[in-house]
Amino acid sequence: MKGAFTYLLLPAVWSSRNRAARRQPGDLTRAFLFGVMGIGVFAALFYGAAWVTWQLDGYEELGDYLLRLGLSWLFMTFLAFLAFSGVVTALSTFFLSDDLRLLLTAPIAARRLFYARFAKTVARSSWMVIVFITPVLLGVGVVRCAPATFYLTSALTLLPFAIIPVAVGTASTLLLVNVFPARRARDLLMLMGFLFAASVVILVRMIRPEQLMRAESLPDLTGFFSTLQSPLTPLLPSFWAGELLFASLKGGWDPLHAGALWSTALVCCVGLRIADERWHFSGYSRSQEAPKARFAHFRGIDVIARTLPLSPVRRQLLVKDMKIFLRDVSQWSQLLLLFALMLIYLYNFRVLDLGRIPYMSRFVKNVYALLNLGMAGFVLATVAVRFVFPMVSAEGRAFWLIRKSPVEMRDFLWSKFWTGLVPVLLLTETLTVAANELLDVDPFLKTVAALAIVFLSLALVGLATGLGARYPRFTADNPSELAGSYGGVAFMIVAVLLIIVIIALVGWPSTSYLYYQLRHRPIPALRLALMGACFAAAVVLTVTTWLHSMRSGIRALDAMSN
Amino acid sequence: MIAVEHLVKQYGRFTAVDGISLDVRPGEIHGFLGPNGAGKTTTLRMMAGLLKPTSGRVVVNGHEVAAEPELAKASLGFIPDRPFIYEKLTAGEFLRFHAGLYGLDGDGVTDRVHEMLDLFELRRWEHELVESFSHGMKQRLVMCAAFLHRPRAVAVDEPMVGLDPRGARLIKDVFRRMSERGVAILMSTHTLEVAQEMCQRLSIILKGKIIAQGTVDDVRRLAGGADDHLTSMFLRLTGGSALQELDEAV
Repeated sequence: MKGAFTYLLLPAVWSSRNRAARRQPGDLTRAFLFGVMGIGVFAALFYGAAWVTWQLDGYEELGDYLLRLGLSWLFMTFLAFLAFSGVVTALSTFFLSDDLRLLLTAPIAARRLFYARFAKTVARSSWMVIVFITPVLLGVGVVRCAPATFYLTSALTLLPFAIIPVAVGTASTLLLVNVFPARRARDLLMLMGFLFAASVVILVRMIRPEQLMRAESLPDLTGFFSTLQSPLTPLLPSFWAGELLFASLKGGWDPLHAGALWSTALVCCVGLRIADERWHFSGYSRSQEAPKARFAHFRGIDVIARTLPLSPVRRQLLVKDMKIFLRDVSQWSQLLLLFALMLIYLYNFRVLDLGRIPYMSRFVKNVYALLNLGMAGFVLATVAVRFVFPMVSAEGRAFWLIRKSPVEMRDFLWSKFWTGLVPVLLLTETLTVAANELLDVDPFLKTVAALAIVFLSLALVGLATGLGARYPRFTADNPSELAGSYGGVAFMIVAVLLIIVIIALVGWPSTSYLYYQLRHRPIPALRLALMGACFAAAVVLTVTTWLHSMRSGIRALDAMSN
Repeated sequence: MIAVEHLVKQYGRFTAVDGISLDVRPGEIHGFLGPNGAGKTTTLRMMAGLLKPTSGRVVVNGHEVAAEPELAKASLGFIPDRPFIYEKLTAGEFLRFHAGLYGLDGDGVTDRVHEMLDLFELRRWEHELVESFSHGMKQRLVMCAAFLHRPRAVAVDEPMVGLDPRGARLIKDVFRRMSERGVAILMSTHTLEVAQEMCQRLSIILKGKIIAQGTVDDVRRLAGGADDHLTSMFLRLTGGSALQELDEAV
């Protein structure tokens, strides 16, 4: 056992066991919440796959053909994902991981270390694909009454299918790290990845796939199928996997594609191992080197900060936070994807053809305006948990600097709050106002939504800052991990509940107002008072959440210092 | 036991280690001194097989690190300045895993782990997670790991940093005992009193080059002073005018 590569995976197993045995407060709640969410997603995927398969079943041979095509498409999508994920994961497992400093000083054969790291890379890169694809294949199998061999073949297909693209990704990383220093390569890859994802999302949306659902815009059938089939080349593992599974779904066996899949996976493993033995150490050695890094000075931030009416403490905290955030590509590159999603969101409102249902258009528009408020609130919560909640923890091991300085925790936390509020408010206010403009909703609703977002931003940014101070993790390597921590999950639950309550408090009086306005009738005094009470309750609730969270955060930080 | 021959490490156009040579004999404690950024850690990392030298070679117990890395590493115990320990493992688990990395197996492992934990006064923490350890305890645990496989040579980077006087005393005793058993120890340190007290020979490195080598007396002669204190010699050799500037600034 001690000579096998699996021995090197033991610390991960033992660490997980120890983590499970020594539970921290909130672990059970978090496990329960994630468990429920996981089961929900699993069930939805299973049901979706089963429904599509059942629908296709009605078309006999055409259904079979589409299912076969669908399986190849499914694997093709994952192929690209796995290759990219392999590149990024291999950077960490083969070159940047801290435990390499221990393992590389031990007398371990290069081959043994390679297999251990590669197994880790494959597992980390592909777990999400496996989790996604399992309910889909189960759904297909159950509806098609597939034989037991289908499930066995699925397992035997997924393993080599994951190995091939991850091996290609790892090989690219090996090459990259021998050309660029590893840390620079990671930044470059992250940026490229998010730019790529953002452009794919925008491109897919711009070709307006919903038009395919309209009979009048369908191309001729042959053209449609040839378009569908064009990217599926028989030279790719995704095609082999699709064919292999389709054959076993029909109770058969496809030795050609099974052989192609397994032999390619084997060749990839051996080839990669030879390359690793030759180039890993030189790449790792380069990744340890710290040549003078090039970075942007962002002197503009200093200039702008000097013009702001801030105390020296708050000004310096703001400058430091901004510079650290902008210099860390892994922090801001995710914003690119968020902007892409926002553009699509707004584009959807632009192409929304509500004129097709004239009787309903006014009503639907106003319902959309409220949905839009909820959506903007959800975007707000997501951005806050990812960027605002970790702000205190992001001080990391340097937090001693704040604690030993004559800086009041109140000043410190409020500085974090304003730093978070300005961009978040700008983002969500733009989203709400622009979407309502594109929808051309009633001016009253426009004003209500714009104001509601201001108050929601105050409440949610305050909540994220306060909870971030109450549940900090100064030892976290990456602030993005914190969204899944106890405090992060607690924030999301409270945030979603608050958004729902605020929409209800704002939605009912707004729709009432529009109802009376549409019928040109005066609003009864009691109803008017109730409407006013609802608006006032929304204001009180958001302001209380905001101030109470901040106060609680300051108290927690003060307690830490005492 | 440890032989470093014409070792060079370049980062682009910057030469961090510039053709240094030194040897550490069995049973010798060899002090490796130099100001910050002189190239001590880079040299030790090349010895441990964590960095690839630009040229030159390192031989441990007759095995060249580049050509026979497994044999060389099996003979070496390395204690880095910033060690990695799995935080979610207990001290016992970490040491048992470490023993496995060096091919130690069987019933003897548990006894050896206990022996090391006793030696470094960590036995009662055997079943505690490493994340709950203080800096000094982690440092001692890393030393347990380094000596666990009975290495013939040890390379240690700043062993006294963060240790309380009792911990420092303990480490000094262990190093002395190991050297009496024939283990060659190359110790990089800033604590000149420790070097003076423990090392039979010294190498002083400045800007990647060895500028003085030999016994404390040899170094004193090279520094050209009658002062007994290693600190004065060190400052004369490495440029001590900064201290005066510091005085003025304060």
